[in-house]
Amino acid sequence: MVRTLSEQHQSLIASLADQPEIAGTIELVWRQARASLPAELLDDWVAACRDISVRIGPNAAMSFIRNSPSVAAAAGAEAAMALAAFAASFADIAGRNATLALFVAAPHAARRLARAEAFTEWLRVVGRIAEFAPESVSLLLDRSGRLLDSLDLRSFETWALGGIRAAENDPERRLKFFALLDTRALHALEHGADSVAFTDVERELKMFVAALWRTTPPIRVLPPADFNTPRRACFANGVIRVPQSSRGVDGQSGKDLFRATLAHVLAHLQFTGEKFALGGLKPVQVALVSLVEDARVEQLAIGRFPGLRRFWLPFHLAEASGVVTAPALMARLSRALLDPSYFDPHGWVNKGRDLFFAERVRWTDPAISRSIGGLLGNDLGQMRVQFNPRTYVVEPAYRDDHQGLWEIPAAAASAGETIYESVRFEQSKSEPADRERETSSSGPANLARLVREAVEVGVPVARYPEWDYLISRERGDWTTVLEYNPADGRAEQIDSILERYPETAYRIAALVQAAKVSRPLRVRRQSEGDRLDLEATITAAIDLRAGLTPSPNVYARLERRWRDLSVLLLIDASQSTNDLVKGIGRSVLELERDATSLLAHAMDGMGDPFAIHAFCSDTREDVHYYRLKDFDTIWGAMAKRRLAGISGRFSTRMGAALRHAGRDLVSRQSYRKLLLLISDGEPSDVDIADRRYLVEDARRAVLSLQHQGIDLFCVGLDAGGDSYLTRIFGRPNVIQLDRIERLPEKLPLLYFRLAG
Amino acid sequence: MELDDFRIGQEPYYRAIGDEVRLFKAAYAERMPIMLKGPTGCGKTRFVEYMAYVLERPLVTVACHEDMTASDLVGRYLLDAQGTVWHDGPLTIAVRQGAICYLDEIVEARQDTTVVIHPLTDDRRVLPLEKRGELVRAHPDFQLVISYNPGYQSVLKDLKESTKQRFGAMDFGHPPTAIEAEIVAHEAKIDVAVAEKLVDIGQRSRSLKGHGLDEGASTRMLIQAGRLISHGVSIEAACQIALVLPITDDADIRGALTAAIAASI
Repeated sequence: MVRTLSEQHQSLIASLADQPEIAGTIELVWRQARASLPAELLDDWVAACRDISVRIGPNAAMSFIRNSPSVAAAAGAEAAMALAAFAASFADIAGRNATLALFVAAPHAARRLARAEAFTEWLRVVGRIAEFAPESVSLLLDRSGRLLDSLDLRSFETWALGGIRAAENDPERRLKFFALLDTRALHALEHGADSVAFTDVERELKMFVAALWRTTPPIRVLPPADFNTPRRACFANGVIRVPQSSRGVDGQSGKDLFRATLAHVLAHLQFTGEKFALGGLKPVQVALVSLVEDARVEQLAIGRFPGLRRFWLPFHLAEASGVVTAPALMARLSRALLDPSYFDPHGWVNKGRDLFFAERVRWTDPAISRSIGGLLGNDLGQMRVQFNPRTYVVEPAYRDDHQGLWEIPAAAASAGETIYESVRFEQSKSEPADRERETSSSGPANLARLVREAVEVGVPVARYPEWDYLISRERGDWTTVLEYNPADGRAEQIDSILERYPETAYRIAALVQAAKVSRPLRVRRQSEGDRLDLEATITAAIDLRAGLTPSPNVYARLERRWRDLSVLLLIDASQSTNDLVKGIGRSVLELERDATSLLAHAMDGMGDPFAIHAFCSDTREDVHYYRLKDFDTIWGAMAKRRLAGISGRFSTRMGAALRHAGRDLVSRQSYRKLLLLISDGEPSDVDIADRRYLVEDARRAVLSLQHQGIDLFCVGLDAGGDSYLTRIFGRPNVIQLDRIERLPEKLPLLYFRLAG
Repeated sequence: MELDDFRIGQEPYYRAIGDEVRLFKAAYAERMPIMLKGPTGCGKTRFVEYMAYVLERPLVTVACHEDMTASDLVGRYLLDAQGTVWHDGPLTIAVRQGAICYLDEIVEARQDTTVVIHPLTDDRRVLPLEKRGELVRAHPDFQLVISYNPGYQSVLKDLKESTKQRFGAMDFGHPPTAIEAEIVAHEAKIDVAVAEKLVDIGQRSRSLKGHGLDEGASTRMLIQAGRLISHGVSIEAACQIALVLPITDDADIRGALTAAIAASI
């Protein structure tokens, strides 16, 4: 039996009786709730209010009562109920204040997402973020409105989880990220859902420029700036700088905007020539001279490539109506100078247009921009229309910031201040600040490295991306590989291994030798083979008819004649390899060394090019990489000393090491390339708590190397890591060994795969 | 006569760019082997046809490919009901009957194949038919012309030095803008103004050479586009099917070319 509305009303008031401040608003809220929630849910809603009041507190309940009706109105009643259900568990993780922030942020999110399912998904994402970064979640919720305006839900999640990962378990850095004080946070935001990153379209646009102008000026990306300021391209000293990403305008895609921008800047590079001197021009005049100059070079470019007008016109959205402000008039003038079909009744715009087109024959002379712009600037001043150089942004969006047009006094430029204030010197302002921040934050880390380097000197040789399965994205330049000089051991130790397993050494050598790994070759004119060699057969038939003795060599067959194989043995030299293998009493590292020596001995006997490298890691900034033997060095005393000298230290960042080893192999000119990892199992590193993360990254590295034509195999010593290794390499590519004597039994597997 | 099929009946359209007709005549007078260099579709084959017409010689053309053997040029024994019969290859036919033999894209053929032309291209002017035990002396009117596209040149595909040095060479580039427009207008039967647009577009694509394209649009491609236009197709659509789509499979280059075409018209 459903209670009557007034009963529900009473029960709500009763449940909040100890909150006198609610009483004032309860009537209004009640009306709203009744309007936005279906009658049968009202009971549940009242129950939810009471529940929140009990479990989280009256403040939260009040906030829920105020905000949930708007959520229900925007995204449906289920969304409001989902919010109530979610709030309790959320409060346990993130605390009361965050829950209040959640209720406050909810209506905007609901309006933005509009569907109950999307809203529930948003709650899930917020919950997930709260799990990882409970301290930052209320900051995030404060900004959630703005974030959802520029990102869709999926990119919102990616952005937030990316920020958490980037902060590397440092709550302070996470706070900075979610407060949008981190350049990376802004970078990621600028690259929102409906925007296009320049790097994605760079190749095509550069070719577009090359096709039209036969020149390839360097194009760089501007550093990210303040979230709310629209960015404009700029050019100086022949280098073009464009915003990192651009969002489409009115049906035009971000790519169209980039293309229009480049076409415009190239028109400047082609036709502007000398920079203008500032002289005694007022800011408004500077802006107008630049505007006329923009129009002039565009007209000249259109004269050469008539289709360019269609590239630019869609961005001119100014209409001959609305409030008469300086920026609005200037936008209208811009359009009037480009768009022949545009008519503007405003006297000033008309005058500008008449002046400009009267000089049609002199368009090739930049001086007309100066005279027309100067005149128009004066007129605008006399019209008493306010021009604020501080807030002026060049419109339309594809035009550059005018900085490249003017001779700016060196002193003004370096101070970041200039007479022409419509020019934004964001670069000169923001860059030094960035640099400062970087050095101050990385100070201690540098120091730490210095101390370590006193012991052992590593040379940073490469940076590699790392795959984050949580956000399904590769983090660029995330790991740094440093190559260290390997320590020396005793070469005799390696030789004694061969003596210890004479039988095994012999069998492995025989196996390696038997494997013919090369491109199949068709051998013609053979006395036996699996098919007829047609040409030889015809010749034989003709010889028969002609009465000659035919050659019996009429067969052809496919043969793998040579060995054409490069092998890179990669040894895991992490701390865990010092562990003893169960039941043998020898460490994993010793077994690794045995297996490596036996294989190296066999391959050296065959003359196969091979290399032996080893790795371990100490955080992503310091992946140690040792070259024990390279492809072009011999398997001699030096290589043996180094192999004997490796010791197990630090952790196992497998992905980075695989990528680095893969880079060596890719450049080899062999038919087959084999990367053989000898490891004890699970990848790990001290800066990663999530056990799955490095496994997924290593798997990703394996897949990408396989794409590049490298065969990857893993010899796992110590059965413990089985599941990880098979996840990374795939079951057929892992050989599990507990005793070195079993290596010959398993090795054929590997060669069968290669020869197949 | 057997070679009547190889005679050029109607005067082919050829728009001379410089002195090439007079130079070729002089070379023919000396029966000097000639190598025509230049990018694909710039008019090398058309030029040879035109010269064969002007000189009133039959023209035997062989398109070379990488599986071509010496027998494909010289001839081979074939089987018939009675036994074996010798069958002259195209080169032997031209040598015997005094035609101009044109080996198109000679670098495509394997190097061991191209050496059979060596005795023909020095003062011996003979073609030994090894299988047959015959030495064919060249007809006095015989001349050898080869074409050679330096654009493809790679370490693997280049002419042997000993082959190169037997030839005189004529270099064919893309014709100057005005002449190319005239050619396109004539061949596609379109207005010179439209032809000029097409040539401009062609030049846009040629500036991408080395930036992703191996070669820009050829005059032949522009003529194809022009022919589509003469059937009422818009310039953009014609360029798309005759130029952008055939020339590359790279989406970025296609995008850049499409935009460059849009900018040019």
